[in-house]
Amino acid sequence: MTGGGDAAYGARDATTRDKALAALVVVTIIGVAWSLAAGRVPPYILPSPIEVGKSALAFFTSAKQLGHLGATLAHIGAAIAIAFVGGALLALAAHYAAWSAPAIHRRLSPFLNAFSGIGWTLLAVIWFGVSTATVVFTITVVLLPFALVNLREGLVALDRELLEMGESFGRSRGRNFAAIVVPSLLPFAAATLRIMFGVAWKVALTAELFGGSKGLGYLINLARQDYDTATIFTVILFIIVAVYVADRVVFLPLERYTSRHFGKAAR
Amino acid sequence: MNPLKRPASLWLADGLVVAALAAWWLAARGLPEFVLPGPVAVAQRLVALFTDADFLVHTLASTLRVLVSVLVALVIGSGLALVQRAWPALDWVLRGGVQPFLNSFPSIGWAILAAIWFTPSHGSIVFVQVAILIPFCLINVGEGLRQLDREALEMATSFTRRRVRIAWLVGLPLLAPYLLGALRISYGVAWKIALVAELLGSTSGLGYLMLRAQGSADMTTVMAACFAIIALFVAGERLILDPLARRFAAR
Repeated sequence: MTGGGDAAYGARDATTRDKALAALVVVTIIGVAWSLAAGRVPPYILPSPIEVGKSALAFFTSAKQLGHLGATLAHIGAAIAIAFVGGALLALAAHYAAWSAPAIHRRLSPFLNAFSGIGWTLLAVIWFGVSTATVVFTITVVLLPFALVNLREGLVALDRELLEMGESFGRSRGRNFAAIVVPSLLPFAAATLRIMFGVAWKVALTAELFGGSKGLGYLINLARQDYDTATIFTVILFIIVAVYVADRVVFLPLERYTSRHFGKAAR
Repeated sequence: MNPLKRPASLWLADGLVVAALAAWWLAARGLPEFVLPGPVAVAQRLVALFTDADFLVHTLASTLRVLVSVLVALVIGSGLALVQRAWPALDWVLRGGVQPFLNSFPSIGWAILAAIWFTPSHGSIVFVQVAILIPFCLINVGEGLRQLDREALEMATSFTRRRVRIAWLVGLPLLAPYLLGALRISYGVAWKIALVAELLGSTSGLGYLMLRAQGSADMTTVMAACFAIIALFVAGERLILDPLARRFAAR
């Protein structure tokens, strides 16, 4: 068993060459297996990598398809903004008006957390029709508990001594809030945005598939009806890459920056 | 803290729930059933989901598939985590490639692909759920393996050379909290995505029931199914996961 322990230890020390080799081997195996499998079945079951590549090219050069991408981005952006503001207001209410805390954290938050996204979608379709409102509503309601729970953590983690010190310098609550509470919350806000972004994509697809008239989910649904599996692959792969890249390029650095400059470690 | 304050705010919390139910009841009175059914009708349908044989088939199908999927995902996720531990070069591929890939794979994508690839069956739905749950298990068990107390393992090695014995008596108890964490997270996620997995190309389950109900504007069943899932989720937490957690925390 010690051998296993050493191996796990060595994981962090694997050389760049090992990594590159391992990645190359895995990618090659997947590529070859995919091509071979695609050769044996009709393209509507498994399109070959080349077909998916062609479909991807067509996707990114077609204004119509890019319009769907824009629609999904707009849905996600709107929902994240609304859920973030709503979650922040509720978390602040629970924090500053203690009497409302159980209602918010013990009733509303678990309820929203447990209610399924599909349920909201199907209900929203009846209430708002197949529309942008349905999609944004669904994503917002699903995201709201994430914002609520994360920002609550931030408020719980507030440094009491820092707040006391702030009070000894000035009695203005607004000033203390802006100068101490908001910066202390920034790392949690960044983490919240990061989580919400990852979840929003997945919910958006489902919501658009059942309740939208535009967006990538709608596109997938059309492709499904046309047995256009290459387009389905393109959209899925695009989402995986987009989520991953956005996470690494925008949200992870943002989280690191905020926790370095405003987090506990910075003090 | 004022001892009277806590109960008062809890009363308020419950009062708000009652108020929400009353508001729902009032709103539903003025609206047709297919837009917003009243709480009483939904509650009756909720009971029917667990008692009426026609509905119970679907409820049981979903429940069994969730349980099977969680267990299968735990086994595969743990297997991958062990592979990751055994081959350092693969660790990077799994953690830098496979894990983020599976993690950002949209669940509806799996559902659509499964609908294209397989004829609708229990197996195809379990496939979708397992595919979605694997990353959660992999992350948790992998973290547990990284946190394993190496000194405890070394001490065990000094007592016996039998690796199976060490793994069973020392490794597994050390891993138990992480396995439970994986189980808890994937159980919660499984119920949420059970519906998604059942929406396309399924002929049983609460998801199928919901979609069929929505097609015939039967909002009562749609809402009842949502609440049934919450009830089943809570029941599983209280009846299976919490006792398991207590059992292993006591050790």
